Amino acid sequence: MSSYGQQHKNTGGIDRLKLRLAVLGILVVASFVALFSRLWFLQVLASEQYDRFAKENRVRFVYSEPSRGRILDRNGHILVRNRGSNSVTVDKQIVDTPHEERMVFRRLSHLLDISMHDLHKRFNDVTVSPYKPVAVANDVSERDSIYIAVHSEDFPGVGTKVLPVRYYPHKDLAAHILGYVGEISADELKADHFKEVRPFYGPGDLIGKEGIEYYYDRFLRGSPQIDKVIVNSNGDPVASSRQQEETPGRDLVTSIDLDIQKATERALLAGLQAARVSYTAPAGAVVVMDPSTGGIVAMASYPDYDPSILADGLTTKEYNSLGQKTPDDPDDDVLLNRATQLTKAPGSTFKVVTAGAAMATGVAESYSQFDCPGSEVFPPEGGPGSVLFRNWTSASQGYMGFPESLETSCDTFYYTLGWRMEEAFGAANGDGSEKFQKYARQAGFGHDTGLDVRYEADGVVPDQKWLTELCKALGPGCDDPTWQPGYSVNMSIGQGDMIVTPLQMATTYAAIANGGNVMRPRIGWELQTPSAEGVGEANKTYRPTVTTKLPLEDSEIAVIRDGLRDVISGDQGTAVSAFAGFPLDRFPIAGKTGTAQIAETIKNDAWFVSYGPIESPQYVISVLVQDAGHGGTSAGPIARQIWEAIFDVDKNTDVHLGQDFSG
Amino acid sequence: MAMEGFFGEAVDRIGGEPISSRMARKAPIRHLDPSLLMVTLMLATYGVVMVHSTTANSQSAVDPAIYFSRQIAFLIAGVVALLFVSFFDYRYIGSLALVIYGVTIVALTLVLTPLGTLRSGATRWISLGFFEAQPSELAKVSIIICLAAFLAQRKGEIRGRDVAVCVGLVVFPSLLIYKQPDLGTMMVFVALLGAALLCGGAKIRHFVFLGVAGLVTIIVIFQAGLLQEYQIQRLTSFLDPSPDVQSIGYNLTQSKIAIGSGGMQGKGLGGKNTQTSLDFVPEQHTDFIFTAVGEQLGFLGSATLLGMFAFLMWRGLRIAAMSRDLFGTLLAGGIVALWAFQIFVNVGMTMGIMPITGIPLPFISYGGSSLITNFVAVGLLLNIHMRRYL
Repeated sequence: MSSYGQQHKNTGGIDRLKLRLAVLGILVVASFVALFSRLWFLQVLASEQYDRFAKENRVRFVYSEPSRGRILDRNGHILVRNRGSNSVTVDKQIVDTPHEERMVFRRLSHLLDISMHDLHKRFNDVTVSPYKPVAVANDVSERDSIYIAVHSEDFPGVGTKVLPVRYYPHKDLAAHILGYVGEISADELKADHFKEVRPFYGPGDLIGKEGIEYYYDRFLRGSPQIDKVIVNSNGDPVASSRQQEETPGRDLVTSIDLDIQKATERALLAGLQAARVSYTAPAGAVVVMDPSTGGIVAMASYPDYDPSILADGLTTKEYNSLGQKTPDDPDDDVLLNRATQLTKAPGSTFKVVTAGAAMATGVAESYSQFDCPGSEVFPPEGGPGSVLFRNWTSASQGYMGFPESLETSCDTFYYTLGWRMEEAFGAANGDGSEKFQKYARQAGFGHDTGLDVRYEADGVVPDQKWLTELCKALGPGCDDPTWQPGYSVNMSIGQGDMIVTPLQMATTYAAIANGGNVMRPRIGWELQTPSAEGVGEANKTYRPTVTTKLPLEDSEIAVIRDGLRDVISGDQGTAVSAFAGFPLDRFPIAGKTGTAQIAETIKNDAWFVSYGPIESPQYVISVLVQDAGHGGTSAGPIARQIWEAIFDVDKNTDVHLGQDFSG
Repeated sequence: MAMEGFFGEAVDRIGGEPISSRMARKAPIRHLDPSLLMVTLMLATYGVVMVHSTTANSQSAVDPAIYFSRQIAFLIAGVVALLFVSFFDYRYIGSLALVIYGVTIVALTLVLTPLGTLRSGATRWISLGFFEAQPSELAKVSIIICLAAFLAQRKGEIRGRDVAVCVGLVVFPSLLIYKQPDLGTMMVFVALLGAALLCGGAKIRHFVFLGVAGLVTIIVIFQAGLLQEYQIQRLTSFLDPSPDVQSIGYNLTQSKIAIGSGGMQGKGLGGKNTQTSLDFVPEQHTDFIFTAVGEQLGFLGSATLLGMFAFLMWRGLRIAAMSRDLFGTLLAGGIVALWAFQIFVNVGMTMGIMPITGIPLPFISYGGSSLITNFVAVGLLLNIHMRRYL
């Protein structure tokens, strides 16, 4: 063992040894360089990213489901409220592999009789929050939820929870007005309607998707209770702090009248069924409005749907039942609110606008008289390019004033007005100021009315600008982009490219009824803090808004109103037969029929717009029935039944088709 | 050479120097390396602080304070062991190499008998009543001593037969450790063998041969299924960390997140709601303690720690170069290799550049056997340094 103490023998040995130690040293240095580099990367270069990961690791926000505000009619009747739904939820943090998902869903599918496809679709909806258990099935029976609780080891991550869902005590009543709720989509999260609102919307939030549920969502939704929870690596909470107390959503009081709404829907359905004896009458819409405020009292669109099946997400079966399976055929689109979204040529109901425009532009005076021949050629001097325009009847009716022209719905009378306005202001013959079209826009056409719902169609007031743009869009399919005088003549009786919604029609007749104010229509009028909470939040009330004042003298409006009265009460009125037997002496009503020829067919869309009582109008009713003959034949009787309900006239009256042969 | 006393030879007149002055000049205590002692104590203190910080809020322990107080006790025991080891001439210790080897083998065998304590699927400990000893830790230093003692006798002239003896010296205890199982310590043994052969004068062809043989062995081990599934997973998971919460790769990801989120300053010692305090990182007072250092003390704290380690390495290599004999050089080189390898693998593991193996961080990780072993190693270095003129 003596060699342990032996000193290094020669310098060469020491040099070799030093070399070997140097190799060891280099290895040591290299390993430390590696460690320092990695440390620098993690803690300096990539630190921010890892810091974010760390926070995501341990901070969870837990949201309660706030109770959404109710929607009430103008008398306090509940149109929508909430109820508790026994829901089955699946926790994404526990069921986090495709294998587990398949296993759990196979069992759930078997137990709850819901297809695997629907379960997967709900579970993997990108819009749901990853931290909230996902509700995959609602309204589960007590028996099934107990089964899941007892066999929890077979259902990892599956829980049952009572969630508030929308409840519609009157089922499909007013479905299109109310809209429905659903989880916010990625696009909606980015939309201004939601983006600017505090507190911010987030994935998984339930929002109003349509109607007033959509429009007033920020008030109806309330705000959830938010708890910030610190979790450990097992996901167990170790600390939590309340970030926000729950605030229930505010109730919305509407101008809807439950009874009138019921009567309106009943009348529309009955009217459609009656019309189907002679026509297809696939769909229709009614708007009942208070002309003094613009408040919507009732609104119906048929076909309709039960919004409760949309309240908790759709199954495939339910989605198919909504008629979305044939997207090319709009007639079975139940989600479409035809009162606000369907645009059709207004036919003769538009004559009140032509009359107003003629008087406002000075082409005619309130006392003016024009001829009503069986047909008329424009330009009147004839020549190449001249066109023959026919009245709905070939018989000549002689000279008449505005009231009689409306009563008999004389087309040639209005052709003359259209032609004169074209000559004076038109894009083809006149100075190009297009005052006819301008008046039509003032009267509420060619743009949305500002109703408090999500979607509303603009309609079209055809003019040179519109034609130019249409031609640009059509490309080679466009023959001639220049305005023809005949277009204005056609427009004067609400035909051609002029298209309007039933709501726009109600708005313009409301202006006639109230003395010239075009009102902004509105459904929601007041937001109330739920009475149980009672404190803090001030109630909000909306005031009626006048969009435009029609540029008409009282005497000018008066002749139009006289004409509309005579449509129903006069000797030759086009709606006389529809109102035969109606107590007009007690409940005087004025209105106008419209029969709009459906392009390239012999079919007609039927209109009837009316208001009453004549001296102090309380309601305007605008009715449109698709492919249902003449306005006085099928639309008039629907309006009549609604009037009977409003004035409490003999409720047993059935809807009979009226007699109307006008254009 | 005869055994020598603490104060050197009694009589030596060569050079005409008076005995008293020569004795004073050669007195080992005069040649102490105080900076080595200092950095050792700083490292151990750093470790005690980190053990406290990682265990004080532990939910699992009955008495969280026990880790802190026990680590302090281990530190004191380590200092005593250090003094004890540096008291005897290291050459005397070298002469006892065979005895040390024998005792080590016996201790490693005892672990596998019913005397061994099973913990987290491995039997690595022997209960001594008051203390659970981990013989594989002490075996690391034993192996260094034995390899150094054997190779020193070869005086730098290494033949194939000598390499075979060295391999044999390492393989025998490795097999016992494989039975525990403790893959990390086996890897340390391989590193120690390499370092000893490097310093001891092995030829390049020896390394080439050993490299090829090692490769073949690894292939055989994998092919024959001698490794458990979880061991392979641990070794390979750092290449592709899985997000699965139950997997080892998840721990690794969480460790990286913890270190990265520490940033420059760190989140402070014992901070609430950190990755480490919320148990996102496993074994954070032992194998993953560097993760806690990184998160709580940031780049400044971790770089300081690595700096202290680097200083320790430098002192060790300096002592290896200054040693008066080959045995001291081999001993010091082996100790440097032991620390450098463990630091690299352990710290590299927490940062995702090395496989996950159960190797503690010297001086910092909680554990008596490891801390005392490292103090013994420091004692040996001081010993070599003090006696470089004797």
